[in-house]
Amino acid sequence: MTERDLFRQEVREWLEAHCPVSQRQPIIREEQIWAGSRVAFSSEEAKAWFEAMRDRGWTAPTWPTEYGGGGLDTEQARVLEQEMIRLGCRPPLYDMGLWMLGPALLNFGSEAQKTTHIPRIVRGETRWAQGYSEPGAGSDLASLTTRAVDDGDHFIVSGTKIWTTRADVADWIFCLVRTDPDAPKRKGISFLLIDMHSAGITTRPIALISGESEFCQTFFDEVRVPKNNLVGALNQGWEVAKELLKHERKLMATMETITEKIDVGLVELAKSRLPMTDAGHLANTDLRTRMAEHLMQADALNDLNELIYGGMKTGQFDPAIPLTLKYIGTREQQRKDELMLEILGVDGLSMTSGKPDLDRMVRNWAYNKAHTIAGGTSEIQLNIIARRGLGLPE
Amino acid sequence: MILNEEQRLLRSTVADFLNREAPIEALRFLRDKEQALAWEPALWQGLCELGAPAVAQPEQAGGLGFGAMGMGALMIEAGRRLSASPLVSSAIFAQAVIRLCGNATQGDRLSPGLMSGENVATVACQEGTHFQPQPTQCRRDADQLSGRKTMVLDAGSADYLLVTARDQNGALCIGRLACDAAGVTITPHRFMDGRQYATVELIDALVDEWLQGEQIAVGFQRALDETTIMLSAEMLGGSRELLERTLAYLQEREQFDVKIGTFQALQHRIAEAYCQLELAAASVYSALSAIDADSDALSEHASRAKALTGDIYQHLSNEAVQMHGGMGVTDEMDIGLFLKRSRVCNQLWGDSAFHKDRFAALRGY
Ligand SMILES: Cc1cc2nc3c(=O)[nH]c(=O)nc-3n(C[C@H](O)[C@H](O)[C@H](O)COP(=O)(O)OP(=O)(O)OC[C@H]3O[C@@H](n4cnc5c(N)ncnc54)[C@H](O)[C@@H]3O)c2cc1C
Repeated sequence: MTERDLFRQEVREWLEAHCPVSQRQPIIREEQIWAGSRVAFSSEEAKAWFEAMRDRGWTAPTWPTEYGGGGLDTEQARVLEQEMIRLGCRPPLYDMGLWMLGPALLNFGSEAQKTTHIPRIVRGETRWAQGYSEPGAGSDLASLTTRAVDDGDHFIVSGTKIWTTRADVADWIFCLVRTDPDAPKRKGISFLLIDMHSAGITTRPIALISGESEFCQTFFDEVRVPKNNLVGALNQGWEVAKELLKHERKLMATMETITEKIDVGLVELAKSRLPMTDAGHLANTDLRTRMAEHLMQADALNDLNELIYGGMKTGQFDPAIPLTLKYIGTREQQRKDELMLEILGVDGLSMTSGKPDLDRMVRNWAYNKAHTIAGGTSEIQLNIIARRGLGLPE
Repeated sequence: MILNEEQRLLRSTVADFLNREAPIEALRFLRDKEQALAWEPALWQGLCELGAPAVAQPEQAGGLGFGAMGMGALMIEAGRRLSASPLVSSAIFAQAVIRLCGNATQGDRLSPGLMSGENVATVACQEGTHFQPQPTQCRRDADQLSGRKTMVLDAGSADYLLVTARDQNGALCIGRLACDAAGVTITPHRFMDGRQYATVELIDALVDEWLQGEQIAVGFQRALDETTIMLSAEMLGGSRELLERTLAYLQEREQFDVKIGTFQALQHRIAEAYCQLELAAASVYSALSAIDADSDALSEHASRAKALTGDIYQHLSNEAVQMHGGMGVTDEMDIGLFLKRSRVCNQLWGDSAFHKDRFAALRGY
């Protein structure tokens, strides 16, 4: 056995021993374990699973052990991920700090920032929100206007952030703020960590088409933020933001692994609800073909992910390819949702039928519309692919 | 595409050779010849000297041991340059049919000639205007074959044919017979891709032998799948070439005082095509490794690879023509040659619609 096989075997045995059967069911939104001071568990088993993973540092498998992470190399992390998928293990922890801030902080943060924040992220003790977008700064993020004014050992922050996912229950927020209004757009931005319990912060929830209100508008009214919460150098926040966005997009491309899983696959759903021919084929040939197209793309996307991974290992790697993943992944997710709605027919027209499985599917259809917008819209992704990936002029 | 050291060396050797011996002008030359030559003898001879027809097979079987991945890398290079040779018809398809449908003696006797390139064989399996894997009207009667086959690659220049037919019990059988055997009429013609295809008419033609493997139907399906995947690799090469040529044009051509590549409408279209191209490419690579791994899911891989490359090759060829403006519809530009090749490739061994249908059936719906 190679070292990798041994590791795989060890991981497999450990997961089988520590992941209760109830935590191997597809995740539903109400049972996701979100980090923070208000962390809640849907059951004792959910809690046990979270704690087992937390104590091994496997909530953040590749982060250094000195900050509480798992210390795995990418290959080992890959094995862990594959084994978790194989068993159907639920993600043990949900948090934007885990997905986005952590990697950026490990890269750009001061030692004090790392020792303060990283272990608490790994242990799920703080819940983070992302404060980038503003009412006037969406795709054109660099035009943001929330101000941070120098006041000795503090900044005074004033302005408003929008689409801040679950800021109403967050403990901390990482923000882009303008520290030099006279510099060119991208040169006057800094990256700040702000305690959501600070005086002067209020949030207002925004209702969404899926019936939820995950988003907030967050208002900052002369909020005092200690200067040692500045990540990276003053006015260098754009660099940190870009690094962080890379992680956000990677995450969005594999949204399926962290969002609510629909237990029923498209094929089973169609077969159980629609007329079939004697040959066992869907009678609706048009739908059948479009399903085949989607399933092929979904398989191809898996292969593409494998290829990127293998390519990075062997150095045979087109750096433009990863830029495509967010665009493709979110497109296929939406394609799948549309096919599902079509298969459901009239049953797909209510979010409040009282049948939880159905309602969930339909809510997801609406919810997932956001995926081609959040983290850089699909149009912005295509701009990036064309210009940065394929070298076309601005 | 992830290749090992040797496979990479192979790819660059073949690329160098094809650049020298089989650039796109070679195809133009072939196309414009009076006489319907299927390939340029010097090119084929050179490929054989490099060992191209034996690339995939393991060394103990007399091959070079580069596997399907190695052969796939070679087909991608051939696709970039539209190189016409009997690689697909003989080195890939006929070899696979003999290996998978013949018995051991037949394999030992026939394979070496195909691997050295000394013999060229072609498989006659299509009937009518749309591909179906099962022969319907070509029949076996004792040791004779009768029927009509269409779109037979390179038949006008090959040594022998492998013909699929149904026997008296309706089972699949494959007969081998010389191209000049009595009762065989081969009518070669050029398709728009400049290559030679033939209609083969058989009237009580006496076969030299029947392939005598134990599982002919299963073997033939696998041979078809392998060949379809290799053709998909060629189609991928053609698609990449189209993308690169179009990108170059977008960076060079100016209108309204700017490069046309600055127009977002064009940027988004080409970026989108690039995404589809990479998905098709990933499908081809994993299909190639599925051949090497002797995967049970080969048919599904083959259908996905063929449908996705078929769609993107045709789409990119249309986009390439459009983005080259008036130049795009001139024969002087090579774009048109790829446009035509993409349409011919689409029809070979099942078009995109065929493979989507088959994929759905394989997925059980
Ligand atoms: C689910 C979700 C979660 C989010 N979470 C957060 C969060 O936690 N924190 C946070 O800060 N933000 C968050 N956002 C905000 C998100 O980053 C923005 O919505 C996104 O960047 C788009 O900005 P916008 O909504 O202002 O749209 P706009 O930028 O106004 O775009 C409108 C339309 O114009 C198009 N467009 C804009 N510019 C161009 C261009 N150059 N070329 C072509 N087309 C263009 C866009 O593609 C889009 O179709 C979230 C959004 C969603 C939907």
